[in-house]
Amino acid sequence: MSDNVNPYKQAHTREKAARLKAEQLLEDKSRKLFQQKIKLEESYIKLRQQESAMLQNEQLATLGTLSAGIAHEINNPLAFVLSNMESLNNYTKSFQKLLLLTQELIQTEGIKETEKSLLTDLIEQEDLAFINEDVDELLKDTSDGLHRVRKIINNLRSFSPTQNTDKVETNLLKGLKSTLKLLDSELKGSVDLQLSLLPLPNTLCNPNELNQVFLNLILNAKQATEDTKEATIKISSHYQNDTIFIRIQDNGCGMTDEVKKQIFIPFFTTKPMDKGTGMGMAIAYGIIANHQGKIIIESIEGSGATFEIQLPVIQTKL
Amino acid sequence: MKGVIFNVLEEMVEENCGMAVWNDILNQELPEGGIYTAGESYPDEQLFNLVNAVCARTKLPMEKVVGNFGEFLFTQLAARHPVFLESPADLKSFLKSIDSVIHVEVRKLYDNPNLPSFKYSEPDPDLLIMQYRSPRKLCILAEGLIRGAAAHYGQSVEISHPICIHRGADWCDLHIRFLP
Repeated sequence: MSDNVNPYKQAHTREKAARLKAEQLLEDKSRKLFQQKIKLEESYIKLRQQESAMLQNEQLATLGTLSAGIAHEINNPLAFVLSNMESLNNYTKSFQKLLLLTQELIQTEGIKETEKSLLTDLIEQEDLAFINEDVDELLKDTSDGLHRVRKIINNLRSFSPTQNTDKVETNLLKGLKSTLKLLDSELKGSVDLQLSLLPLPNTLCNPNELNQVFLNLILNAKQATEDTKEATIKISSHYQNDTIFIRIQDNGCGMTDEVKKQIFIPFFTTKPMDKGTGMGMAIAYGIIANHQGKIIIESIEGSGATFEIQLPVIQTKL
Repeated sequence: MKGVIFNVLEEMVEENCGMAVWNDILNQELPEGGIYTAGESYPDEQLFNLVNAVCARTKLPMEKVVGNFGEFLFTQLAARHPVFLESPADLKSFLKSIDSVIHVEVRKLYDNPNLPSFKYSEPDPDLLIMQYRSPRKLCILAEGLIRGAAAHYGQSVEISHPICIHRGADWCDLHIRFLP
Protein backbone atom coordinates (compact mmCIF):
# COMPACT_ATOMS: atom_id res chain seq x y z
CA MET A 1 0.00 0.00 0.00
CA SER A 2 1.24 3.48 -0.86
CA ASP A 3 2.41 5.54 2.12
CA ASN A 4 0.55 8.70 1.10
CA VAL A 5 -2.87 7.01 1.32
CA ASN A 6 -4.47 7.73 4.65
CA PRO A 7 -5.95 4.43 5.87
CA TYR A 8 -8.59 6.25 7.94
CA LYS A 9 -9.73 8.23 4.95
CA GLN A 10 -9.93 5.05 2.91
CA ALA A 11 -11.99 3.39 5.64
CA HIS A 12 -14.14 6.53 5.91
CA THR A 13 -14.85 6.47 2.17
CA ARG A 14 -15.72 2.78 2.37
CA GLU A 15 -18.04 3.34 5.32
CA LYS A 16 -19.69 6.23 3.55
CA ALA A 17 -20.33 4.08 0.50
CA ALA A 18 -21.78 1.37 2.74
CA ARG A 19 -24.04 3.91 4.42
CA LEU A 20 -25.24 5.21 1.09
CA LYS A 21 -26.09 1.69 0.02
CA ALA A 22 -27.92 1.03 3.29
CA GLU A 23 -29.88 4.26 2.91
CA GLN A 24 -30.75 3.40 -0.67
CA LEU A 25 -31.93 -0.03 0.48
CA LEU A 26 -34.06 1.57 3.18
CA GLU A 27 -35.55 3.97 0.67
CA ASP A 28 -36.35 1.19 -1.81
CA LYS A 29 -38.00 -0.84 0.93
CA SER A 30 -39.94 2.18 2.16
CA ARG A 31 -41.19 2.84 -1.36
CA LYS A 32 -42.24 -0.78 -1.75
CA LEU A 33 -43.94 -0.65 1.64
CA PHE A 34 -45.77 2.50 0.62
CA GLN A 35 -47.00 0.87 -2.59
CA GLN A 36 -48.15 -2.19 -0.68
CA LYS A 37 -49.92 0.05 1.83
CA ILE A 38 -51.76 1.80 -0.99
CA LYS A 39 -52.76 -1.57 -2.50
CA LEU A 40 -53.87 -2.81 0.90
CA GLU A 41 -55.95 0.30 1.46
CA GLU A 42 -57.57 -0.11 -1.95
CA SER A 43 -58.34 -3.77 -1.24
CA TYR A 44 -59.76 -2.84 2.14
CA ILE A 45 -62.05 -0.20 0.62
CA LYS A 46 -63.16 -2.68 -2.06
CA LEU A 47 -63.79 -5.33 0.57
CA ARG A 48 -65.86 -2.92 2.65
CA GLN A 49 -67.86 -1.94 -0.42
CA GLN A 50 -68.46 -5.57 -1.34
CA GLU A 51 -69.41 -6.40 2.22
CA SER A 52 -71.84 -3.50 2.32
CA ALA A 53 -73.27 -4.46 -1.11
CA MET A 54 -73.67 -8.07 0.03
CA LEU A 55 -75.42 -6.96 3.19
CA GLN A 56 -77.68 -4.70 1.20
CA ASN A 57 -78.49 -7.50 -1.25
CA GLU A 58 -79.34 -9.85 1.60
CA GLN A 59 -81.49 -7.17 3.22
CA LEU A 60 -83.27 -6.50 -0.03
CA ALA A 61 -83.74 -10.20 -0.73
CA THR A 62 -85.37 -10.60 2.70
CA LEU A 63 -87.50 -7.55 2.06
CA GLY A 64 -88.43 -8.97 -1.35
CA THR A 65 -89.66 -12.21 0.19
CA LEU A 66 -91.47 -10.30 2.92
CA SER A 67 -93.04 -7.97 0.36
CA ALA A 68 -94.18 -10.92 -1.74
CA GLY A 69 -95.81 -12.47 1.37
CA ILE A 70 -97.52 -9.24 2.38
CA ALA A 71 -98.64 -8.56 -1.18
CA HIS A 72 -100.10 -12.06 -1.44
CA GLU A 73 -101.86 -11.85 1.94
CA ILE A 74 -103.35 -8.44 1.20
CA ASN A 75 -104.17 -9.25 -2.39
CA ASN A 76 -106.56 -12.09 -1.55
CA PRO A 77 -108.91 -10.12 0.75
CA LEU A 78 -108.45 -7.11 -1.52
CA ALA A 79 -109.77 -9.09 -4.47
CA PHE A 80 -113.04 -9.89 -2.74
CA VAL A 81 -113.35 -6.43 -1.20
CA LEU A 82 -113.02 -4.92 -4.69
CA SER A 83 -115.49 -7.40 -6.10
CA ASN A 84 -117.93 -6.70 -3.23
CA MET A 85 -117.53 -2.99 -3.84
CA GLU A 86 -118.72 -3.49 -7.39
CA SER A 87 -121.77 -5.42 -6.16
CA LEU A 88 -122.37 -2.81 -3.48
CA ASN A 89 -122.36 -0.12 -6.16
CA ASN A 90 -125.03 -2.00 -8.08
CA TYR A 91 -127.09 -2.70 -4.91
CA THR A 92 -126.90 0.97 -3.98
CA LYS A 93 -128.27 1.94 -7.37
CA SER A 94 -131.29 -0.36 -6.71
CA PHE A 95 -131.89 1.23 -3.30
CA GLN A 96 -131.55 4.69 -4.83
CA LYS A 97 -134.17 3.75 -7.45
CA LEU A 98 -136.48 2.50 -4.70
CA LEU A 99 -136.05 5.71 -2.69
CA LEU A 100 -136.73 7.84 -5.75
CA LEU A 101 -139.87 5.85 -6.54
CA THR A 102 -141.06 6.14 -2.93
CA GLN A 103 -140.47 9.91 -2.94
CA GLU A 104 -142.47 10.18 -6.19
CA LEU A 105 -145.29 8.01 -4.86
CA ILE A 106 -145.60 10.15 -1.74
CA GLN A 107 -146.34 13.09 -4.02
CA THR A 108 -149.20 11.24 -5.81
CA GLU A 109 -152.87 10.78 -4.76
CA GLY A 110 -152.92 7.01 -5.25
CA ILE A 111 -151.57 6.24 -1.79
CA LYS A 112 -153.31 6.54 1.59
CA GLU A 113 -152.43 9.43 3.88
CA THR A 114 -151.40 7.06 6.71
CA GLU A 115 -149.02 5.17 4.45
CA LYS A 116 -147.72 8.45 3.02
CA SER A 117 -147.04 9.66 6.54
CA LEU A 118 -145.31 6.37 7.48
CA LEU A 119 -143.03 6.55 4.45
CA THR A 120 -142.26 10.27 4.96
CA ASP A 121 -141.42 9.66 8.64
CA LEU A 122 -139.14 6.76 7.73
CA ILE A 123 -137.32 8.84 5.11
CA GLU A 124 -136.86 11.66 7.61
CA GLN A 125 -135.94 9.50 10.61
CA GLU A 126 -133.32 7.53 8.66
CA ASP A 127 -132.15 10.69 6.86
CA LEU A 128 -132.48 8.76 3.61
CA ALA A 129 -132.37 11.88 1.43
CA PHE A 130 -128.89 12.76 2.83
CA ILE A 131 -127.70 9.14 2.63
CA ASN A 132 -128.78 9.10 -0.99
CA GLU A 133 -126.70 12.19 -1.67
CA ASP A 134 -123.67 11.02 0.34
CA VAL A 135 -123.50 7.36 -0.60
CA ASP A 136 -122.12 7.93 -4.12
CA GLU A 137 -119.22 9.99 -2.79
CA LEU A 138 -118.54 7.45 -0.02
CA LEU A 139 -118.46 4.61 -2.49
CA LYS A 140 -116.27 6.55 -4.91
CA ASP A 141 -113.74 7.45 -2.20
CA THR A 142 -113.70 3.86 -0.95
CA SER A 143 -113.17 2.57 -4.45
CA ASP A 144 -110.35 5.08 -5.07
CA GLY A 145 -108.70 4.06 -1.80
CA LEU A 146 -108.94 0.38 -2.69
CA HIS A 147 -107.47 0.97 -6.13
CA ARG A 148 -104.59 2.84 -4.48
CA VAL A 149 -104.03 -0.13 -2.20
CA ARG A 150 -104.05 -2.39 -5.24
CA LYS A 151 -101.44 -0.16 -6.96
CA ILE A 152 -99.20 -0.30 -3.89
CA ILE A 153 -99.57 -4.07 -3.73
CA ASN A 154 -98.72 -4.38 -7.42
CA ASN A 155 -95.65 -2.21 -6.85
CA LEU A 156 -94.64 -4.44 -3.96
CA ARG A 157 -95.01 -7.45 -6.22
CA SER A 158 -92.74 -5.82 -8.80
CA PHE A 159 -90.09 -5.49 -6.09
CA SER A 160 -90.40 -9.16 -5.14
CA PRO A 161 -88.69 -12.05 -6.88
CA THR A 162 -90.86 -13.36 -9.70
CA GLN A 163 -90.97 -16.20 -12.15
CA ASN A 164 -89.46 -15.80 -15.61
CA THR A 165 -92.73 -15.06 -17.30
CA ASP A 166 -93.50 -12.69 -20.14
CA LYS A 167 -89.93 -12.61 -21.34
CA VAL A 168 -89.14 -12.04 -24.97
CA GLU A 169 -85.96 -11.48 -26.91
CA THR A 170 -85.66 -7.79 -27.62
CA ASN A 171 -83.27 -4.91 -27.94
CA LEU A 172 -83.22 -2.68 -24.89
CA LEU A 173 -82.36 0.40 -26.93
CA LYS A 174 -85.83 0.20 -28.47
CA GLY A 175 -87.42 0.37 -25.01
CA LEU A 176 -85.03 3.08 -23.85
CA LYS A 177 -85.80 5.23 -26.88
CA SER A 178 -89.57 4.79 -26.51
CA THR A 179 -89.30 5.69 -22.81
CA LEU A 180 -87.39 8.84 -23.77
CA LYS A 181 -90.11 9.68 -26.30
CA LEU A 182 -92.69 9.25 -23.54
CA LEU A 183 -90.72 11.64 -21.31
CA ASP A 184 -90.03 14.12 -24.07
CA SER A 185 -92.40 16.82 -22.78
CA GLU A 186 -91.27 16.23 -19.18
CA LEU A 187 -87.59 16.72 -20.04
CA LYS A 188 -87.82 19.31 -22.81
CA GLY A 189 -86.66 22.73 -21.71
CA SER A 190 -85.73 21.69 -18.18
CA VAL A 191 -82.71 19.43 -18.76
CA ASP A 192 -80.02 19.06 -21.37
CA LEU A 193 -80.34 15.44 -22.43
CA GLN A 194 -77.11 13.99 -23.83
CA LEU A 195 -77.27 10.55 -25.43
CA SER A 196 -74.39 8.29 -26.27
CA LEU A 197 -76.06 5.04 -27.21
CA LEU A 198 -73.85 2.34 -28.63
CA PRO A 199 -75.56 -0.68 -30.23
CA LEU A 200 -76.65 -3.50 -27.91
CA PRO A 201 -77.34 -7.14 -28.65
CA ASN A 202 -80.82 -8.60 -28.22
CA THR A 203 -81.54 -10.17 -24.86
CA LEU A 204 -84.30 -12.18 -23.24
CA CYS A 205 -86.17 -9.87 -20.89
CA ASN A 206 -89.48 -8.41 -19.90
CA PRO A 207 -89.43 -5.19 -21.96
CA ASN A 208 -92.36 -3.58 -20.13
CA GLU A 209 -90.70 -4.06 -16.78
CA LEU A 210 -87.36 -2.73 -18.02
CA ASN A 211 -89.05 0.28 -19.58
CA GLN A 212 -90.46 0.98 -16.14
CA VAL A 213 -86.92 0.86 -14.73
CA PHE A 214 -85.71 3.35 -17.35
CA LEU A 215 -88.68 5.57 -16.64
CA ASN A 216 -88.12 5.50 -12.88
CA LEU A 217 -84.40 6.21 -13.16
CA ILE A 218 -84.77 9.01 -15.69
CA LEU A 219 -87.56 10.65 -13.71
CA ASN A 220 -85.45 10.34 -10.59
CA ALA A 221 -82.52 12.00 -12.39
CA LYS A 222 -84.80 14.76 -13.60
CA GLN A 223 -86.16 15.39 -10.11
CA ALA A 224 -82.60 15.42 -8.71
CA THR A 225 -81.65 18.24 -11.09
CA GLU A 226 -84.64 20.45 -10.33
CA ASP A 227 -82.52 22.98 -8.40
CA THR A 228 -79.45 22.63 -10.63
CA LYS A 229 -78.31 25.34 -13.01
CA GLU A 230 -77.62 23.87 -16.43
CA ALA A 231 -79.24 20.57 -15.51
CA THR A 232 -77.83 17.73 -17.57
CA ILE A 233 -78.77 14.08 -17.90
CA LYS A 234 -76.37 11.85 -19.79
CA ILE A 235 -77.60 8.46 -20.92
CA SER A 236 -75.20 6.00 -22.43
CA SER A 237 -75.18 2.36 -23.37
CA HIS A 238 -72.51 -0.12 -24.23
CA TYR A 239 -71.90 -3.82 -24.31
CA GLN A 240 -68.88 -5.66 -22.97
CA ASN A 241 -68.16 -9.27 -21.97
CA ASP A 242 -71.74 -10.50 -22.38
CA THR A 243 -73.05 -7.68 -20.22
CA ILE A 244 -75.20 -4.74 -21.21
CA PHE A 245 -74.38 -1.45 -19.48
CA ILE A 246 -76.86 1.41 -19.38
CA ARG A 247 -75.79 4.51 -17.47
CA ILE A 248 -78.03 7.36 -16.41
CA GLN A 249 -75.99 10.22 -15.06
CA ASP A 250 -77.23 13.55 -13.71
CA ASN A 251 -75.53 16.62 -12.30
CA GLY A 252 -78.21 17.09 -9.63
CA CYS A 253 -78.19 17.13 -5.86
CA GLY A 254 -76.58 13.70 -5.47
CA MET A 255 -77.04 11.73 -2.28
CA THR A 256 -75.37 10.93 0.99
CA ASP A 257 -73.92 7.51 1.77
CA GLU A 258 -76.84 6.97 4.13
CA VAL A 259 -79.37 7.57 1.34
CA LYS A 260 -77.34 5.34 -0.99
CA LYS A 261 -77.64 2.50 1.52
CA GLN A 262 -81.41 2.80 1.76
CA ILE A 263 -82.42 3.89 -1.71
CA PHE A 264 -83.69 0.45 -2.82
CA ILE A 265 -85.70 -0.20 0.33
CA PRO A 266 -89.45 -0.11 -0.34
CA PHE A 267 -91.16 3.11 0.76
CA PHE A 268 -87.85 4.86 1.42
CA THR A 269 -88.05 8.36 -0.04
CA THR A 270 -86.30 11.68 0.37
CA LYS A 271 -89.16 13.47 -1.36
CA PRO A 272 -92.07 15.18 0.40
CA MET A 273 -95.00 12.90 1.35
CA ASP A 274 -97.14 13.93 -1.60
CA LYS A 275 -94.28 13.76 -4.15
CA GLY A 276 -93.22 10.15 -4.03
CA THR A 277 -94.26 6.76 -2.75
CA GLY A 278 -90.70 5.56 -2.19
CA MET A 279 -91.35 2.57 -4.44
CA GLY A 280 -89.73 3.76 -7.70
CA MET A 281 -86.19 2.68 -6.91
CA ALA A 282 -87.32 -0.45 -5.04
CA ILE A 283 -89.27 -1.52 -8.12
CA ALA A 284 -86.29 -0.77 -10.36
CA TYR A 285 -84.07 -2.87 -8.10
CA GLY A 286 -86.57 -5.74 -8.02
CA ILE A 287 -86.96 -5.81 -11.78
CA ILE A 288 -83.21 -5.69 -12.45
CA ALA A 289 -82.59 -8.39 -9.82
CA ASN A 290 -85.23 -10.53 -11.51
CA HIS A 291 -83.23 -10.17 -14.71
CA GLN A 292 -80.06 -11.37 -12.90
CA GLY A 293 -78.62 -7.88 -13.22
CA LYS A 294 -77.55 -5.18 -10.84
CA ILE A 295 -77.75 -1.43 -10.39
CA ILE A 296 -74.56 0.33 -9.31
CA ILE A 297 -74.82 3.81 -7.81
CA GLU A 298 -72.05 6.36 -7.76
CA SER A 299 -72.84 9.64 -6.11
CA ILE A 300 -71.38 12.39 -4.03
CA GLU A 301 -73.79 14.68 -2.25
CA GLY A 302 -74.11 17.90 -4.23
CA SER A 303 -72.29 16.52 -7.27
CA GLY A 304 -74.85 14.43 -9.09
CA ALA A 305 -75.41 10.73 -9.35
CA THR A 306 -74.82 7.90 -11.78
CA PHE A 307 -76.99 4.81 -11.93
CA GLU A 308 -75.50 2.01 -13.95
CA ILE A 309 -77.68 -0.90 -14.95
CA GLN A 310 -75.73 -4.05 -15.69
CA LEU A 311 -77.67 -6.85 -17.35
CA PRO A 312 -76.34 -10.17 -18.57
CA VAL A 313 -77.19 -10.93 -22.19
CA ILE A 314 -79.52 -13.94 -22.28
CA GLN A 315 -80.39 -15.40 -25.63
CA THR A 316 -83.25 -17.75 -26.48
CA LYS A 317 -82.11 -21.34 -26.64
CA LEU A 318 -82.89 -22.87 -30.02
CA MET B 1 -34.42 19.44 6.97
CA LYS B 2 -33.64 15.94 5.74
CA GLY B 3 -30.30 14.42 6.76
CA VAL B 4 -29.37 13.85 3.14
CA ILE B 5 -28.91 17.62 2.69
CA PHE B 6 -26.45 17.65 5.62
CA ASN B 7 -24.67 14.63 4.13
CA VAL B 8 -24.26 16.42 0.82
CA LEU B 9 -23.00 19.58 2.54
CA GLU B 10 -20.43 17.47 4.34
CA GLU B 11 -19.46 15.92 1.03
CA MET B 12 -19.01 19.33 -0.58
CA VAL B 13 -16.93 20.74 2.28
CA GLU B 14 -14.75 17.63 2.38
CA GLU B 15 -14.24 17.71 -1.37
CA ASN B 16 -13.38 21.41 -1.51
CA CYS B 17 -11.80 22.14 1.86
CA GLY B 18 -10.83 18.76 3.30
CA MET B 19 -12.15 16.52 6.04
CA ALA B 20 -10.38 18.49 8.77
CA VAL B 21 -12.35 21.64 7.93
CA TRP B 22 -15.66 19.80 8.24
CA ASN B 23 -14.53 18.33 11.56
CA ASP B 24 -13.55 21.79 12.79
CA ILE B 25 -16.91 23.24 11.75
CA LEU B 26 -18.77 20.46 13.52
CA ASN B 27 -16.65 20.79 16.64
CA GLN B 28 -17.28 24.49 16.69
CA GLU B 29 -21.00 24.46 15.86
CA LEU B 30 -22.19 21.10 17.20
CA PRO B 31 -19.65 19.67 19.66
CA GLU B 32 -22.04 16.85 20.57
CA GLY B 33 -23.73 16.28 17.20
CA GLY B 34 -22.97 16.20 13.53
CA ILE B 35 -24.30 12.72 12.86
CA TYR B 36 -26.81 12.84 10.04
CA THR B 37 -28.80 10.03 8.48
CA ALA B 38 -30.46 10.57 5.10
CA GLY B 39 -34.04 9.75 6.07
CA GLU B 40 -34.08 11.56 9.43
CA SER B 41 -35.12 15.18 9.83
CA TYR B 42 -32.96 17.72 11.69
CA PRO B 43 -33.60 21.34 12.73
CA ASP B 44 -33.25 23.80 9.86
CA GLU B 45 -31.15 26.07 12.11
CA GLN B 46 -28.40 23.45 12.26
CA LEU B 47 -28.02 23.58 8.49
CA PHE B 48 -28.10 27.39 8.42
CA ASN B 49 -25.47 27.54 11.18
CA LEU B 50 -23.26 25.06 9.35
CA VAL B 51 -23.60 27.01 6.08
CA ASN B 52 -22.74 30.23 7.95
CA ALA B 53 -19.67 28.53 9.38
CA VAL B 54 -18.66 27.38 5.88
CA CYS B 55 -19.02 30.99 4.66
CA ALA B 56 -16.86 32.23 7.53
CA ARG B 57 -14.22 29.59 6.80
CA THR B 58 -14.12 30.10 3.06
CA LYS B 59 -14.65 33.86 3.28
CA LEU B 60 -17.21 33.52 0.51
CA PRO B 61 -20.54 35.38 0.54
CA MET B 62 -23.58 33.36 1.68
CA GLU B 63 -25.23 33.67 -1.75
CA LYS B 64 -22.19 32.15 -3.46
CA VAL B 65 -21.91 29.25 -0.99
CA VAL B 66 -25.61 28.42 -1.10
CA GLY B 67 -25.72 28.68 -4.89
CA ASN B 68 -22.72 26.38 -5.28
CA PHE B 69 -24.21 24.04 -2.74
CA GLY B 70 -27.39 23.88 -4.86
CA GLU B 71 -25.39 22.85 -7.92
CA PHE B 72 -23.45 20.26 -5.94
CA LEU B 73 -26.66 19.03 -4.30
CA PHE B 74 -28.19 18.38 -7.72
CA THR B 75 -25.30 16.17 -8.86
CA GLN B 76 -25.42 14.21 -5.60
CA LEU B 77 -29.19 13.74 -5.63
CA ALA B 78 -29.07 12.80 -9.31
CA ALA B 79 -26.50 10.12 -8.51
CA ARG B 80 -28.69 8.77 -5.69
CA HIS B 81 -31.99 8.93 -7.57
CA PRO B 82 -31.23 8.52 -11.27
CA VAL B 83 -34.78 7.27 -11.87
CA PHE B 84 -36.17 10.82 -11.78
CA LEU B 85 -33.93 11.83 -14.67
CA GLU B 86 -34.86 8.91 -16.88
CA SER B 87 -38.22 10.16 -18.16
CA PRO B 88 -37.81 13.90 -18.69
CA ALA B 89 -36.08 14.30 -22.03
CA ASP B 90 -34.89 17.84 -21.47
CA LEU B 91 -34.30 20.43 -18.78
CA LYS B 92 -37.71 22.08 -19.13
CA SER B 93 -39.59 18.78 -18.76
CA PHE B 94 -37.44 17.92 -15.77
CA LEU B 95 -38.08 21.26 -14.05
CA LYS B 96 -41.80 20.87 -14.69
CA SER B 97 -41.75 17.40 -13.15
CA ILE B 98 -40.36 18.62 -9.80
CA ASP B 99 -43.72 19.45 -8.25
CA SER B 100 -45.82 16.77 -9.89
CA VAL B 101 -43.40 13.81 -9.84
CA ILE B 102 -40.38 14.27 -7.58
CA HIS B 103 -42.17 15.94 -4.68
CA VAL B 104 -45.00 13.41 -4.90
CA GLU B 105 -42.45 10.59 -4.56
CA VAL B 106 -40.70 12.34 -1.67
CA ARG B 107 -44.02 12.66 0.17
CA LYS B 108 -44.53 8.92 -0.19
CA LEU B 109 -41.32 8.29 1.71
CA TYR B 110 -41.35 11.00 4.36
CA ASP B 111 -44.03 12.50 6.56
CA ASN B 112 -44.18 16.31 6.49
CA PRO B 113 -41.12 16.87 4.32
CA ASN B 114 -41.95 20.63 4.16
CA LEU B 115 -41.20 20.82 0.48
CA PRO B 116 -41.37 24.07 -1.44
CA SER B 117 -44.21 24.47 -3.90
CA PHE B 118 -43.84 25.47 -7.52
CA LYS B 119 -46.19 26.98 -10.03
CA TYR B 120 -45.18 27.15 -13.65
CA SER B 121 -45.88 29.49 -16.52
CA GLU B 122 -44.42 29.70 -20.00
CA PRO B 123 -44.94 33.13 -21.56
CA ASP B 124 -42.86 32.01 -24.55
CA PRO B 125 -41.31 28.66 -25.58
CA ASP B 126 -37.82 29.71 -24.43
CA LEU B 127 -38.88 31.03 -21.06
CA LEU B 128 -40.08 29.10 -18.03
CA ILE B 129 -41.19 30.99 -14.93
CA MET B 130 -41.10 28.94 -11.75
CA GLN B 131 -42.98 30.52 -8.88
CA TYR B 132 -41.23 29.34 -5.72
CA ARG B 133 -42.92 29.39 -2.32
CA SER B 134 -41.36 28.09 0.86
CA PRO B 135 -41.16 29.31 4.44
CA ARG B 136 -37.49 28.28 4.37
CA LYS B 137 -36.81 30.96 1.75
CA LEU B 138 -34.12 28.88 0.05
CA CYS B 139 -34.62 30.39 -3.40
CA ILE B 140 -30.87 30.76 -3.94
CA LEU B 141 -30.46 27.04 -3.29
CA ALA B 142 -33.25 26.43 -5.84
CA GLU B 143 -31.35 28.56 -8.35
CA GLY B 144 -28.23 26.47 -7.74
CA LEU B 145 -30.21 23.26 -8.19
CA ILE B 146 -31.59 24.55 -11.51
CA ARG B 147 -28.05 25.37 -12.66
CA GLY B 148 -27.00 21.84 -11.65
CA ALA B 149 -29.87 20.40 -13.65
CA ALA B 150 -29.01 22.59 -16.66
CA ALA B 151 -25.43 21.30 -16.56
CA HIS B 152 -26.73 17.72 -16.38
CA TYR B 153 -28.87 18.21 -19.51
CA GLY B 154 -26.17 20.24 -21.25
CA GLN B 155 -28.58 23.14 -21.62
CA SER B 156 -27.37 26.74 -21.43
CA VAL B 157 -29.68 28.89 -19.35
CA GLU B 158 -29.94 32.41 -18.06
CA ILE B 159 -31.60 32.64 -14.67
CA SER B 160 -33.07 35.85 -13.33
CA HIS B 161 -34.90 36.42 -10.10
CA PRO B 162 -37.02 39.58 -10.46
CA ILE B 163 -39.41 38.86 -7.57
CA CYS B 164 -37.86 37.55 -4.36
CA ILE B 165 -39.00 36.63 -0.85
CA HIS B 166 -35.86 38.27 0.46
CA ARG B 167 -37.02 41.56 -1.01
CA GLY B 168 -40.42 41.52 0.71
CA ALA B 169 -42.48 39.44 -1.74
CA ASP B 170 -44.58 36.44 -0.71
CA TRP B 171 -42.91 34.27 -3.32
CA CYS B 172 -40.02 34.20 -5.77
CA ASP B 173 -40.25 34.23 -9.53
CA LEU B 174 -37.37 32.36 -11.10
CA HIS B 175 -37.13 33.16 -14.82
CA ILE B 176 -35.26 30.47 -16.68
CA ARG B 177 -34.42 31.41 -20.24
CA PHE B 178 -33.31 28.52 -22.41
CA LEU B 179 -30.44 29.61 -24.64
CA PRO B 180 -29.67 27.98 -27.98
